[in-house]
Amino acid sequence: MDVILKSKLIGLILALSIIFFGLDSSYSILLFLIVMLSIGIPHGSVDHIIAFINPDARRFNSKLIFYIIYLSLIIINIVLWIISPFLGLLIFLLISCYHFGETQVLGYNSTDNKLLNFVIGANILLSLFLNNIIELQGILYILPEFSNLDLSNFDGAFFLLISVAVLMLSVTNFNIKRKVPLYAEITILYMVFYHTDLLTSFTLYFGFCHSLPMLMLEFEEFKTDNFIKFYLKTLPFTILSLVFGFLLYHFNNDLLTSDNLILFVFIIISSLTLPHVFIMKDFVKDK
Amino acid sequence: MLNFIFDAASVAPGDFTGFTFFIGSVSMLAATVWFLMQHGQVDKKFKDSMLVAALITGIAAVHYFYMREQWVLTGESPTELRYIDWILTVPLMVVEFALLTGVGMRKLFWASVVMLVAGYFGESGVTGMLDAQIWGLISGGAYFYMAYEVGCLTIFGGPTGAVGTALNSASGKIPSAGRMLQWYVLVGWAIYPLGYLMGTDAGMWYEGMSNIALDMNVVYNVGDAINKIGFGMAVWSAARS
Repeated sequence: MDVILKSKLIGLILALSIIFFGLDSSYSILLFLIVMLSIGIPHGSVDHIIAFINPDARRFNSKLIFYIIYLSLIIINIVLWIISPFLGLLIFLLISCYHFGETQVLGYNSTDNKLLNFVIGANILLSLFLNNIIELQGILYILPEFSNLDLSNFDGAFFLLISVAVLMLSVTNFNIKRKVPLYAEITILYMVFYHTDLLTSFTLYFGFCHSLPMLMLEFEEFKTDNFIKFYLKTLPFTILSLVFGFLLYHFNNDLLTSDNLILFVFIIISSLTLPHVFIMKDFVKDK
Repeated sequence: MLNFIFDAASVAPGDFTGFTFFIGSVSMLAATVWFLMQHGQVDKKFKDSMLVAALITGIAAVHYFYMREQWVLTGESPTELRYIDWILTVPLMVVEFALLTGVGMRKLFWASVVMLVAGYFGESGVTGMLDAQIWGLISGGAYFYMAYEVGCLTIFGGPTGAVGTALNSASGKIPSAGRMLQWYVLVGWAIYPLGYLMGTDAGMWYEGMSNIALDMNVVYNVGDAINKIGFGMAVWSAARS
């Protein structure tokens, strides 16, 4: 588990550097792209190998069946977003809560408690959204009930307070082996969420608290000393994901909200995340 | 976003309040480095405590840099940033008791949630319900419950909760470190209700508190530094044994 904590430490140093040295929010998209391309997408680009080399992983009879199921889930997710963006978003959030929470508790507790995984992930997303809620209202204009809410009476401290209170109550009500370090790490995340914009917050969390630790864990699973060799194995599907994203963007229609890049990126991420979650669920078991 | 390293504004000559913001930020940073260095030196069972101590001062250092900047540039009290700092660090300070004794985390967390939420509601008036004195009463009640639970009243021979009992009966240097922590909660933390009364006195029975010739920024800055660094030092003194 050492590798997970070291990866998270890199993220912490980067997050603090951004807070101290200052990064204008206009650069957040660039930071997002760099982190997503180098860590975010690659961590899911070896699912096709992980699914077969990990003895605890879900067993597929053949690679063909694996790809059919994997790609079907991606397509179903996109169709869902087109039919009902609200439902697409809801399912993405529910799945992300579980998946992010599962990774977050690694090193602090076993991942057997599914409810704990979900609650921890929900806490993180809740804080990410609450601490950037005004920005989120602008992005989620497809949900007028939310985007038209008048929040002018509330300041940043209110939303941070809600996040921290919910986290404290969540942590105390679960049986967690290393409760305090888990709480402490999430506290740092909340500080980062408060001080950076939504995309930067998401980038730092997704890149360094989620993707990098998982990438390093996958590297360990490959049982090779050559990281470059391992990383090269992630490239084909990383490139394929990019092509898929560009194609989807090129052939988009209004239902895919072409005028809202961040929402479009959310749709892409959710499509890639859905099948990845099932592979990772088995991968992190007993870790 | 601020750039503290290259664009940081200087504290003007004679600006004593600004100077305390500066001292707050650098002393918290120094304490963080110190606690992190000590993390490798202490027994395994105290490692989490040292890490939390470093985290408390680290988070405070970040916010004191922000607060100093806001003070120097605008001359306004950085109330929101101060609350952000407290919201993040107070639960961590409470956690130190649970780490030293192994009991009471749930009770102390609940009490600190009530203390912070009620205090914030009272000072901001965001709910539109009840008035500042009622919220203050609820917040103060939670604070006194915590003080009781961690054994502050035993200083005067009074009763204590489970955490205080565990602190006083622990082995090694924990009881003496615990006594220091109890003093911090009883005396050090008392500046926060004082600030609350001064900030919400309009139309209340305690009206006039804000006329007291006391710069609350200075009180908070000095108090924060003593409380947060002192808390960590007390834990470190227990860990050294």
